[in-house]
Amino acid sequence: MGFFDRAKAVLGLQKAGRASGSGPAPRATRADDRKKKGGRPPLPDVAGAASATIEDVLTARAAGSFDEARAILAAIDKGQGLRTILRAAAALEAKDEEEVSKLLPLVRKDSPAWQLRLQAAAALEKGKERDDLVARAKKLGAPAWSMAWIAALSSNEAEQRAGLVDLLFEDAGLARTVAARDLAFADVKPDNDAVRRYAAFAHGRDVIRRFGPAQVVALLARVDSGPA
Amino acid sequence: MTRPLLSIYRLDRDKLHELSNQLRQLLAVDDRAALSTLLGLGEELARRLASERWAVAMMLRADDDPQASPIFASLRRIAKRAALEHVWTSESPALEGRLRAYDVLREEKDVADALDRLLEPSRLPWFLQRPGSTGGWLDDAQRGTLAERMHSLGPALPDEVNGFAEALGGMDGDALIHDRL
Repeated sequence: MGFFDRAKAVLGLQKAGRASGSGPAPRATRADDRKKKGGRPPLPDVAGAASATIEDVLTARAAGSFDEARAILAAIDKGQGLRTILRAAAALEAKDEEEVSKLLPLVRKDSPAWQLRLQAAAALEKGKERDDLVARAKKLGAPAWSMAWIAALSSNEAEQRAGLVDLLFEDAGLARTVAARDLAFADVKPDNDAVRRYAAFAHGRDVIRRFGPAQVVALLARVDSGPA
Repeated sequence: MTRPLLSIYRLDRDKLHELSNQLRQLLAVDDRAALSTLLGLGEELARRLASERWAVAMMLRADDDPQASPIFASLRRIAKRAALEHVWTSESPALEGRLRAYDVLREEKDVADALDRLLEPSRLPWFLQRPGSTGGWLDDAQRGTLAERMHSLGPALPDEVNGFAEALGGMDGDALIHDRL
């Protein structure tokens, strides 16, 4: 049994047809008895999902189990932060308008508003979408260090260098950490005092990158287009 | 190991700002020849800087990195020459501890806040910050007020603190303190 199969077994996510005959009955079957409004089948019940993590969500999505990933997100969502963002993005991806409408007000409240735009931008390759998100973040008050960090991640050498210089003057410890961790500068060591600041931003960026930045970008476009 | 001694400098903020802008500009365009000239680097250090991918890569190295350390020393020397004038150095290694923790000072909130700003290295430009060092600055008005407040507490303060207050009050302009410049 591979890692993902074990994870699914722990979460009770194995499909009935794939479960062994001698094992316990899959817990998701109760979901079949219920129907959501509009005829959409409910997400599968996932026993133990409340103790799951975003890593389990990403693992499920990587294996193509999108409904299961959504079910885990629904179970671990606390109504704010990255989990809510991903839950809403996944609902949008699944065209589940009922859930999207329910979650959009929470996504709009996500604070600081610039941060999610920059995290999504940092997860994207160079292009118009990325530039638009960066411009939007700037309009929403993104601080100079965050703009410098994004520039330092540019695939354009001159932009990257200028971004690193700006970051050095804004927050030298963070500049060293970004150079060491994001840009793999061999002779630069991360700054212990800046690692927490680095992690707070980089975690969201890395999760969005693995989740699928396109879905989060679509969600942000919906948020920025006005009330649902 | 001897503990470093705190020194007070008169700070010319405009000149420090000017140097900082010049440095930033040269790093952004990666003009290593001009940077070497600005920092007064000799042939060997200029060659070292030129061998980096970018000059900023050298500046991102640790303060004690053997390749970068002499370049940082040059940068601090240039900054001192451009914008700092030495005023006073304490003779007591205990001064920093007294300023940070002496109860008579800590009980006066305005005094404690001003001292904390003066002992907060993150308020200095990155090239004047060194790991484990103490430094910070106050503008002219804040410096004067702090010196007066410390003077009023003088009878209850130890000699090394009174010496510091006297030096702080006896100068004019913005004050920068540091223990490893």
